Amino acid sequence: MPAEPSSPAIPEVRLRDLRPSVSPVELVGRVITFNRREVVRKSDHSRRPLLSGLLSDGTATVRFTWWDPPREGIERGTILRAVGVEVREFRERPEVTFTWRTRVSPAGLGDLPKVDAEEIPFRTVHSLNPPDEGFRLEVRVVRVAPRTVTVGEERRVVYDGLVADRSGAMALSSWSDFGLSAGEAVRISGGYIRTFRGRPQIVLDERSSVLRVEGSDLPQPSDLLRSPPRSIAAVEDEGGGAAVAVEGIVVGLLPPSGLVYRCPQCQRTVKNGLCRVHGQVEGKADLRARIVLDDGTGALTVNAGRAETERLWGVTLDEARRRLRDEPDPSLLEESMLETLLGRRLRVRGVGTKDDFGVTISPESIEPVDVDLDAAAAELGRRLSGGP
Amino acid sequence: MALREPAWRVTARELETSLEEERGEGDRAASYLLSPFAARMNRVLVTGTLSPAEPIGRDESQPFWRARLTDPTGAVAVTAGSFQPRAMAQLRSSPAPRPAIVVGKPHLYRGRDGVGYVSVRAEAVRFVGETEERAVLADIVRQSLDRVDLVDQIVRDPTVDDDRLRSGGVPGAWIRAARESLKRYPVVDRDAFRRDLRPALRRISGDSGPVAPGPTPPPTVTLTRTPPTPEPPPRAPTAAERAEESIFLDHLDELADLSADGYADLKELLARLGAEGVAAGRAEAVLGRLEEEGVVEEPIVGKLRRA
Repeated sequence: MPAEPSSPAIPEVRLRDLRPSVSPVELVGRVITFNRREVVRKSDHSRRPLLSGLLSDGTATVRFTWWDPPREGIERGTILRAVGVEVREFRERPEVTFTWRTRVSPAGLGDLPKVDAEEIPFRTVHSLNPPDEGFRLEVRVVRVAPRTVTVGEERRVVYDGLVADRSGAMALSSWSDFGLSAGEAVRISGGYIRTFRGRPQIVLDERSSVLRVEGSDLPQPSDLLRSPPRSIAAVEDEGGGAAVAVEGIVVGLLPPSGLVYRCPQCQRTVKNGLCRVHGQVEGKADLRARIVLDDGTGALTVNAGRAETERLWGVTLDEARRRLRDEPDPSLLEESMLETLLGRRLRVRGVGTKDDFGVTISPESIEPVDVDLDAAAAELGRRLSGGP
Repeated sequence: MALREPAWRVTARELETSLEEERGEGDRAASYLLSPFAARMNRVLVTGTLSPAEPIGRDESQPFWRARLTDPTGAVAVTAGSFQPRAMAQLRSSPAPRPAIVVGKPHLYRGRDGVGYVSVRAEAVRFVGETEERAVLADIVRQSLDRVDLVDQIVRDPTVDDDRLRSGGVPGAWIRAARESLKRYPVVDRDAFRRDLRPALRRISGDSGPVAPGPTPPPTVTLTRTPPTPEPPPRAPTAAERAEESIFLDHLDELADLSADGYADLKELLARLGAEGVAAGRAEAVLGRLEEEGVVEEPIVGKLRRA
């Protein structure tokens, strides 16, 4: 669709090539997300409408701000041509602003820059960081499962999973059904990386494409789920990961460990009969253990749920409640749990996330490890007798 | 970022030889005990035979207990006070020597005659079976060897940079510890340390039984290099005076740990010492001695900290 003839002085740029500049530019892009709000001007308390969100042209995605936007006609997926756009930099990323000087008109698919699939670079999982996009990736689907979420008022199905190549593994979240199944090797393009709960994940949507490939050099799901444990220091350095395996000794428990009460609606811990979100609720009893695991190179927290806690502690939820009735001091339960767990050697696999307090693992499996003392003695004997 | 400090796997021998400290600066800074064998310890994991504990505080409202942990390489004092109620309960619960695992914070007390006393303030204590003790000991010996090997590697090739060591899988904290330890203890016999570990090997393989608890006096290590204050004191301190200093410093450390600004309040300290039977006059005398020796300072009137 021909747009208004643009002045030759204003160059049309691809979002990938966007740089902050004094002179306005022209661009074409698709609205990925947006929301409307109003800004109140301090001087005269007048309200000014504002629309902001993300704009993508297939080469990059940038934040946009649109002052005094039209009341209607903007939807997710709308393609726009904007002439006379201001480009600024915020946190080292370019952002665009549509002001009263900017002319915005509808555009079509054909106006978006042609991106030749062959010119998109291949990347490895390990090299990807938010907010990367415009890459191709060959990965093995380790697992994938649908999940229903509520976005605004809409119910949508999102396919959550884990993908991996030889360089590492990353969580996947697809808003579009590509019929993915575990074990497949796929070539992905048109995805982007964002941070979800503190770690990077690959996001696919209706603009992405997925191709089945041979993938003979990709790891098998079983390789990944059986990979040997790594040092906790290495896991800390990398800020966790989608498929973390560590082995260490239990050196403590963090509160709250033991019997906890959860909000029946949101599963949050209930304190003094109050849920942070739902107010006064009848808490549902649950067991948990926040285990501090230490391998001498670092320490991390393992958040064990009820099933794992019961198995490791050897006390069921019912038994714990019975004990609490006999001896109404919850700290005794935690003490008994620590008494059982302290010094035990565990191998833990799961999803690792990092915050200011270090790495926390949401475990998929926790296995007690028996040390082969004869083998250990033989190995250490060799090192102590020969020695450098 | 306040990451949790790892529990360094160390033998009693390594703790006995540790005579250097690194005191952090600023709010809530961690402090470390540095060993000659590349451990930079804010927290340790030790195992061995734990003797029955004895109370060392005199005030019932401020209980403080001490036991001895003996492993095949040496022995170290393990303490717990009312701020470690669980660990203290564990220490007190045992009527006879038993194998145990202890996680805790190492403390160095250095007398003026160049003698260092290391103790471990227990955070968690658990009595274990022999198999478990041997498994943890295997972990301790393996990591002790890994650390001295790392120091040897750096000595052999002083130009090796941290990135290359890291890419070889060496944790960043270990590299830092190895470099700091080489700086603080330039002359160290690492082969002698390896020999000291051999008795532990016999224990791991099951060739020797549990270690009998050692004698009651704490282990002493004489400094092998020039102590920081070489001039001899006018007269040797009596055992009673040294015990008072030890109690004084224990309480000072605890108060400093608890306070928001990192200083121990002098009034609170005197109150606590009074409760332990150290009269105010005597406590002031101890403070005077410790200040003279440069162990304690009073940068703000009424506020004490370790120098």
